[in-house]
Amino acid sequence: MRRIGIVVLSLLSIGLVAAWWLSRPLAILAEDLPDYAPDPVKGERVFWAGGCASCHATPVDGRRAAGQDKLQLGGGMQLDTPFGIFRVPNISSHETDGIGRWSMVEFVNAMQHGVSPSGEHYYPSFPYPSYARMDVEDVMDLRVYLETLPAVGRRSAGHSLSLPWSLRRGVGLWKRRYMDSDPVVPIDASNHELMRGREIVEGVGHCGECHSPRDRFGGPIMKRWLAGAASLEGQGRVPNITRAGSNVKEWTQEDIVYYLESGFTPDFDTVGGTMVAVQENMAMLPASDREAVAAYLKYIPAVE
Amino acid sequence: MQIAISRLILTSCALALASFAIAGDDPLVARQDLMKSVGKATKPVGQMLRGQADFDAAVVMESLKTYEDVSAEFGELFPVGSESGEETEAAPAIWEDRAGFEEALATWQKSISEALAAKPATLESAKPVLSNVLKSCKGCHDTYRIEND
Repeated sequence: MRRIGIVVLSLLSIGLVAAWWLSRPLAILAEDLPDYAPDPVKGERVFWAGGCASCHATPVDGRRAAGQDKLQLGGGMQLDTPFGIFRVPNISSHETDGIGRWSMVEFVNAMQHGVSPSGEHYYPSFPYPSYARMDVEDVMDLRVYLETLPAVGRRSAGHSLSLPWSLRRGVGLWKRRYMDSDPVVPIDASNHELMRGREIVEGVGHCGECHSPRDRFGGPIMKRWLAGAASLEGQGRVPNITRAGSNVKEWTQEDIVYYLESGFTPDFDTVGGTMVAVQENMAMLPASDREAVAAYLKYIPAVE
Repeated sequence: MQIAISRLILTSCALALASFAIAGDDPLVARQDLMKSVGKATKPVGQMLRGQADFDAAVVMESLKTYEDVSAEFGELFPVGSESGEETEAAPAIWEDRAGFEEALATWQKSISEALAAKPATLESAKPVLSNVLKSCKGCHDTYRIEND
């Protein structure tokens, strides 16, 4: 009897050690970065394509920041989800409250590996699983653009999550199971428009984070890529934006472009909900980017 | 002349019916019908802005008047107790932040009055004032409408 106890205990400790090992944060080193001179002008385009402001801009009087206030990246917005409340942090250039002192590799590790400068996992409410698909040069451009934005002094409280989600280390296992930096939809590299569309939709624009459904562990269900999902914040449903989506199947490519630019559907209903902020960001991009997104959405597999 | 008169009569009948519907019916249904009439009024204007239809000043003014009528009564159709049902897309924020909702409505009303006062006669002069009106639609739909697909 006692022997069984010892066996069970040993197995349990082996399991725990293995889980600890498997869940460790994996980051890259400064020497892994490419020899590249980042460009803040390019970084601004990455900033709007990524919609950083939609979550990180500090709300004004409890409401979404507008205009120039979108560049005050002090955080403070809350994401009320089934996993708990996530509180968006300060990513302004402030030296202590923001990310002003971060090195380039620390920034890249946060964006593409979900690892903080202190070596902890970030929760994927910060959509690094999408950013992992970005070119590292684009991430570096973004970093130098963010440095040009105002320093905002304020700190956000930590997240309030329920078990098991509150065990941050467990995110490491989540990453092993769900994170994949490979492209989602195969595209011929000679088609530059589709490649650009994929870059935006699958990577920096992180469209799949809301438009693809998740399983009960919050992992994306890739075979239903962009096929719509229950809203993770509050009520409602995020629409299916593949060609088969009931809202968009009648839309022409030109209709999608017009929607992203103006916020109007072909019936001249307006964009609503959190998509308003996304559309406003898309409107900041060159027309060719909106055309690329539309081309990509018309190209990818239709999912009923 | 005759056409104008019959149109006037028809419009009055429609308005009378609409107000009857509002008075005697569920506010939830009433507000949905009003928003549908806004949608109908927006389509021709949107098509002009998008270059899909020729500019028609009379149609623009008619749509603006529809907005004006709707915006005058829309805010009263969200009493406590009408938060759910009929697949409503009204967001809880309307009741949680009534001041913000009223403010968004006021922004809409102001943009409509300005556009009506401008009496735009050409597409060029219509664009800025109409864009302002249409922007205020989004300005309310972002927080106070739930997206259901």
